[in-house]
Amino acid sequence: MIAWLNEFLGFLPDPLRIIAVITAQIVPLVIVLILCVAFLTYFERKVIGYMQNRIGPNRVGPRGWFQPFADVIKLLVKEVVVPSKANRFLFLVAPLLSIVPALATWAVMPLFPGYAIANIDAALLYILALTALSIYGVILAGWASNSKYAFLGAMRSTAQMLAYEIAMGFALVGVLMAGGSLNLGVITEAQSGGILSWFWLPLFPLFIVYFISGVAETNRAPFDVAEGESEIVAGFHVEYSGVAFAIFFLAEYANMILIAGLTAVMFFGGWHSFFAGSWFAFLDGTPLAFLREPSLAWLCVKIAFFLFCFLWSRATFPRYRYDQIMRLGWKVFIPVTLVWIMVEGVMLVAGVGPWRT
Amino acid sequence: MSRISSAIKTFSLWDLLIGLRVTLRNFFVKKVTVQYPEEKTPQSPRFRGLHALRRYHNGEERCIACKLCQTVCPAAAITIESDVADNGTRRTTRYDIDLFKCIYCGFCEEACPTDAVVLTRIYEYHMEEPGQNIMNKDKLLALGDKYEGMIASDRTTDAPYR
Amino acid sequence: MLTLAIFGMLAAVLVTAATGVIVSRNPVHAAMWLVLTFATSAVLWLLLEAEFLAIILVLVYVGAVMVLFLFVVMMLDVNATVAREGFTRYAALGSVIAAIVVGELLALLWLRSSGLPITRPLAGMPDGHSNTREIGLELFGGHVFEFELAAFLLLLAIVAAIMLTHRQRPGLKYQDVSAQVKVRREDRVRLVKMAAERDE
Repeated sequence: MIAWLNEFLGFLPDPLRIIAVITAQIVPLVIVLILCVAFLTYFERKVIGYMQNRIGPNRVGPRGWFQPFADVIKLLVKEVVVPSKANRFLFLVAPLLSIVPALATWAVMPLFPGYAIANIDAALLYILALTALSIYGVILAGWASNSKYAFLGAMRSTAQMLAYEIAMGFALVGVLMAGGSLNLGVITEAQSGGILSWFWLPLFPLFIVYFISGVAETNRAPFDVAEGESEIVAGFHVEYSGVAFAIFFLAEYANMILIAGLTAVMFFGGWHSFFAGSWFAFLDGTPLAFLREPSLAWLCVKIAFFLFCFLWSRATFPRYRYDQIMRLGWKVFIPVTLVWIMVEGVMLVAGVGPWRT
Repeated sequence: MSRISSAIKTFSLWDLLIGLRVTLRNFFVKKVTVQYPEEKTPQSPRFRGLHALRRYHNGEERCIACKLCQTVCPAAAITIESDVADNGTRRTTRYDIDLFKCIYCGFCEEACPTDAVVLTRIYEYHMEEPGQNIMNKDKLLALGDKYEGMIASDRTTDAPYR
Repeated sequence: MLTLAIFGMLAAVLVTAATGVIVSRNPVHAAMWLVLTFATSAVLWLLLEAEFLAIILVLVYVGAVMVLFLFVVMMLDVNATVAREGFTRYAALGSVIAAIVVGELLALLWLRSSGLPITRPLAGMPDGHSNTREIGLELFGGHVFEFELAAFLLLLAIVAAIMLTHRQRPGLKYQDVSAQVKVRREDRVRLVKMAAERDE
């Protein structure tokens, strides 16, 4: 595909052609992502509604399918109110700082066999670095708003994100030990085979820790003390309205999709098929043989499942108290990950387990 | 023993799984939402909605300006002024109900000796301008005239239980 | 050509940001300028194909250290005018240090032109070469003892920091979350079975 793009844009001078080819890959991905975010908001309301015995939005378009567009139009035509005494520049930059890392991380996501926009070797570190950057949007939004609720929300979410980033990093260490590389494509490659050779089985505690930390990183329920509607109104984005608020919203949901995608790639075999294992060898030669092929569709299915888990846990669990969140992060998750990395090291040395050395 | 089992429970996230099971079960339960403008929930004949003033069959106002409703009203939403009418009877010259103050308790209806002020089953009404929340005598009488059928039948249905 | 253009652009941003750190009056602004400085220098390192170091710079300095900085700066509400009062007092010392730094940089330029072996341009690496892997091999191969020593020192520092801050103050009431979480129903509720009372 890249070769084709290069040929198609061959008439351009070299530096321009490189930029054009990269842009031609980024733009469709970002558009698809933003559409996904739009419909994720719709599905969130639907799923939570269904779990509460309601039917959710159903007025705009057939069964409410156009609800996200209605929401977007509403937010776009609203005025962006900048509070008096707010720090105008940082106030307006903060939403951008939260959306950019959420989208930029997708550059290293292995979407289908042999393809990622940027197939870099240090992809895992890149992901960690960019998730660390997303704190800035929150902390600056809280500070620049010149509002105590926003500031409290920013403080809470910064401390929370810093704490869970460590657990997340340790979980990734486990993945990189198992995959033998920092490159996400290689990590996915290492999980080839059926469901049982994906990393979720040998790394089960790390998978649980990673997913829960992911929920905490994105400030989603039950870890949404940063928003805490009942205590601090809406946390760091109380003062935002219109497009600026929409961007925060976009960033939150893009981050959700990202965490779901990373969980799928690192623990659930990315684009590998459910039916790839030898158990399903009987499918070969039948019209269903294509189900055994690795493809983007499998990644999408897995992402959708983890997104459902996000919504499911939001519909189920009450919000954590702040000190309990901190205890969970520091006193439970970090020791659990450390212990499991030890166990994994022993298994690696002893030669037990499905991973390659 | 119990410590071990509780540790297993904690680390297998057992309690969380139970909670998740509950929500997942409800996810597939048949939904009970009433699609409001198209569908409506059944109403009791005792439903207490918008107020109205009734008349007798001969067109005479029922209200005798006894001010019992004004007295009993817990929200002080009713204002009544009275005078002697042309035919020498005691009649209201002003009968205002402030819909913003009213709490729809129905005490006025209970207190009324002539069944003049009633609460109808109408609940879909709105105000567009300031001041429209005051229901004056003309508006109340007009409502009473318009919905006399509904009001009368509701009273008949409920009569055995009063 | 493209690399040179990118370098020029980033270097300009870097110098502007670094100037911003020292001239901005608002401490939060200064911190944000510093973040920009780190980010641009990380990209400059990327241009040198030192991707591991670049990403670690962003991860550690931008992601952790500067966030803590911002945290503290925002909480303390530093009064810039008070901090500025001692400015002239240290001007002499400051200018001496600045002169030394400028002198060192000039010496570096002079060194480069003198053609010593350490100043040769970096050797280009073949395409499939992994910078990260090289650093890993170096750290855990030849320098494993120093690495472990540094790790041990850091651990010591963590323990010391926790010991310093985690003192028990008398008369302070706080919730013991672990105890709260550990509570089971049996500790609080006693289920009693008894026959229903009946009028005989």
